[in-house]
Amino acid sequence: MQEHILSWITFLPLIGMAAILCVPRTNTGLIKAISLAATGIPFVLATWLYFDLFDKSSANLQFVQRLDWITSLGAYYYVGVDGLSLALVWLTTLLLFIAVPASFGIEKSQKSYYALLMLLEVGIIGVFVALDYFLFYVYWEVMLLPMYFLIGIWGGPRREYAAIKFFLYTLAGSVLMLVAIVALRLQAGTFSIPELMALAQSGAMDGSKLPGGGELLGMGFQTWVFWFLFVGFAIKVPVFPFHTWLPDAHVQAPTPISVILAGILLKLGGYGMLRACFPIVPDAFRANTYVLGILGVISIVYGAYVALGQSDFKRMVAYSSVSHMGYVLLGMAALTEWGMTGAALQMFNHGTSAAVLFLVVGVIYDRAHHRDLNGFGGISQVMPKYWALTTWGFFAALGLPTQAGFVSEAMTLLGAYQSADTRFQALVVISLIGIVLTAAFLLWAMQRVFLGTLNAKYKDYGDMNAREVFCQAPFLALCLILGVFPWLLTDWMAPTIKLVVGTLSKSA
Amino acid sequence: MSNYLQSLPSIAPEIAMTVLLCAVLVVDLLLKGRDSRKVGYLTLGGLGVVAWLLLGQWGELGSAGAAKRVFGMIDIDRFSTFFKLFTVGSLAAVVLFVLLDRRERRHGIGEYYLLLLGAGLGIFFMVSTSNLLLLMLGLELLSLASYSLAGFHKGDKRSAEAAMKYVVFGGLSAGVMLYGISLLYGITGTIDLTEMASGPHSLAAQFSSGPVPVAVAIVLVLAGFAYKVSVVPFHFWTPDVYEGAPTPVTSFLAVASKAAGFAALLRFVGKLFLVDGADGAVQQYGARIGALLAILSALTMTLGNLAALRQSSMKRMLAYSSIAHAGYVLMGMATMESSGWNAAMFYLAAYYLMNLGAFGFVLYFESVTGSDDIASLKGLGAKALWVTVPMVVFLVSLTGLPPTVGFTGKYMLFVAGVDNGLLWLSLVMALNSVVSLFYYFRIVKALFLAEPAERSMPGQSALAGSIFVLAVLTVLFGLYIAPLQAWCDASVESLRLGAG
Repeated sequence: MQEHILSWITFLPLIGMAAILCVPRTNTGLIKAISLAATGIPFVLATWLYFDLFDKSSANLQFVQRLDWITSLGAYYYVGVDGLSLALVWLTTLLLFIAVPASFGIEKSQKSYYALLMLLEVGIIGVFVALDYFLFYVYWEVMLLPMYFLIGIWGGPRREYAAIKFFLYTLAGSVLMLVAIVALRLQAGTFSIPELMALAQSGAMDGSKLPGGGELLGMGFQTWVFWFLFVGFAIKVPVFPFHTWLPDAHVQAPTPISVILAGILLKLGGYGMLRACFPIVPDAFRANTYVLGILGVISIVYGAYVALGQSDFKRMVAYSSVSHMGYVLLGMAALTEWGMTGAALQMFNHGTSAAVLFLVVGVIYDRAHHRDLNGFGGISQVMPKYWALTTWGFFAALGLPTQAGFVSEAMTLLGAYQSADTRFQALVVISLIGIVLTAAFLLWAMQRVFLGTLNAKYKDYGDMNAREVFCQAPFLALCLILGVFPWLLTDWMAPTIKLVVGTLSKSA
Repeated sequence: MSNYLQSLPSIAPEIAMTVLLCAVLVVDLLLKGRDSRKVGYLTLGGLGVVAWLLLGQWGELGSAGAAKRVFGMIDIDRFSTFFKLFTVGSLAAVVLFVLLDRRERRHGIGEYYLLLLGAGLGIFFMVSTSNLLLLMLGLELLSLASYSLAGFHKGDKRSAEAAMKYVVFGGLSAGVMLYGISLLYGITGTIDLTEMASGPHSLAAQFSSGPVPVAVAIVLVLAGFAYKVSVVPFHFWTPDVYEGAPTPVTSFLAVASKAAGFAALLRFVGKLFLVDGADGAVQQYGARIGALLAILSALTMTLGNLAALRQSSMKRMLAYSSIAHAGYVLMGMATMESSGWNAAMFYLAAYYLMNLGAFGFVLYFESVTGSDDIASLKGLGAKALWVTVPMVVFLVSLTGLPPTVGFTGKYMLFVAGVDNGLLWLSLVMALNSVVSLFYYFRIVKALFLAEPAERSMPGQSALAGSIFVLAVLTVLFGLYIAPLQAWCDASVESLRLGAG
């Protein structure tokens, strides 16, 4: 059991899906119970793994399993975790576990909904634990189909458009990735991500085994492989200018799916860069860190600026994600231990704070059936609990000290400032505008929704019920706990990050 | 004489096909056109026997040196057996489709099966000969049967129009091809591909002394193949014929007939250029053919996919999609290396599975809604999950997403392309996959994303069952490809080392 724990965590939801498919569709109680179990048990296992089984002092990959799969193509079932992926696996299991009760309000074809939700979890966890690039890619794509249906069937009025747009954007990125993966495989003769990293260290990633030195359109091997992989991941993050699918997908998706989308799916992009792009083509990465830094800063400032202009509550939150994920890119590009740690923390912390924000939007939308920020007013008078939790969530999102967002954003910016490339100092200064804008749009939204005179239409609204509080509570608690005790994450990540920064900064 | 008698067991499958064909004819006459279903069952049973013979032959061909040429013109090797097996498989599926087509008459359609068997027999000869004359005869047998099949619904204007277009285009291209063959004969003095490749007047030698006539002849022959497998710019007939022909016939044309065209094309190019220890002239000359195929591949996949975007009829859409897929297979061929050819073979096998399934789905819904319009599927997704979920699998596979056989095939093509200097073409193909997602998923959108429809769906469990089995295979071969890949490798290997 213990040595196969990662496979159990990955495939338990699949067993849950099979079980759900066997239940008659009218028995929704049993379907929900199975879903809770199939997401709850992996969460318990992941928690056990995080706090007990995992050796946090080691930078090595742990709980590694390597089995033959498609031998003729050289693909293995190869999984394992290190400090970086473990935290995200844990967050995934938590988010999916919370997504089940958060979905209890959904009435339409519940059986299919929960079955797809389970399949989605398999894909996401699979990406985080996969160490074989082929396997990684399979999981990466397996995720798309359930997401397409979850947005497309249970989404808002423009769901068909949003669903296919999400699918097309992501696929466009991932086919580029596939070409790059094929080229890497032919150059290195392996799909194993750790082996690819080791080969990159020894300077073997030069395209010498490909016809014509692996050049494409005048670009060297590493350069085009880097950009193909980067664009594939950047679409997922999303980094400006690849972000345009995100507001549509977020706004149309039902609340629990928005939570998963913002909380976890965006992290796949950042994680992918850190695990499967930068360390594999380090020379190209080093040559382009400043470009990445600029893209990060544009995302930070532009995301916040556009969020300020939104009147749709959910759209505003969606753009805030673009802004927050910009820090991840900036921190990684700085190539310092602080910056990298900040980026990894920011991924986790945005997962919790974005989950809260989308749940907040969901609570008011379920009652008012609209999300127009200008259509509310004075809600604090009828829903005091809601107001209190929202205030907490907003403060966490805008990075108030004692909240987790503060730690990760501060670390990112300090790390960027320390960068050996002094041009990053200017980027840090510019990104401060983003912090101000973030505070502005969040506080302004709070003012419009909660303060002022109470709109008579809303005077009968009930406050948040126990289920809604239960869904938000763990994320708010995490925001606070990790704001005060960030070592709960950093201690686990530190060895891995040290290793990654070390390998990235020394040239072969 | 005794030589001939000794060779007869080698063509047992062909003989069995011919006997079956005659039996179907006689039985249909004896039944006086009543209850044609019995003829259908007879056909299915007979195809089972042929498949059994072919499997036996495949096993025998496993030992080294077992491949041989009989009657001086029929190559018995794993390459041809591979395609014959797939032909029998798809013929069986098409016969099943006809039997299960609820709109088809129950009486007086015995010749439907007869024509299908005739087309199948044509394919048998076409895929197993290096003799250009026999190849041409096989091709014509296939074509003549296909023309009649396309126009099988005489009363239906679209079916008649399809047959007419098919005849005109087919006749023209056959003429062009025959002209090319006559030029080849004039240049080399033989109609046998093996002799053309190696004889004193070999094509390569002739090419170095005077490239223009050889190039013209080759291009003319390639044009004939290009028509059969609908490669741009010889694809114009495809959408109209696919749309007008009865759906089971369309699936036959899209799957068995197209693959047969590819088989003949692979053998033609392979015998001439994919030669072990080829000298510089052959290699240089092969590289030019490779470059031509690469350009055709890029044009075909791009045009096919772009045209498919605008279609509202599923059959037309699948027609354009089949053009795009022909482009993908050509990419594997264009590498002019075994790895690329293995990938092309694998992709053809994948193509068989997913397209048969997709046409089965079209048939299923056509027989209920009376139309193959994508709009008519609106909201029906949840009404027949045993068919609609497999359809999602086929569409995912056609797009080339894991975990399906379509993805594995596409992956192998990518590898072959990148490894052989066709990186640009791999990129074109990658972007084409994105385009194709958009139109394939219009079907998914209509089925599942629209509000559920009120109408009920009468069940057709037999058809649904066969579609489901195809979907299971599509996923299975995506996750566990070893057997399928071994078959493809063995086939291409036999082409290189083939008899003669």
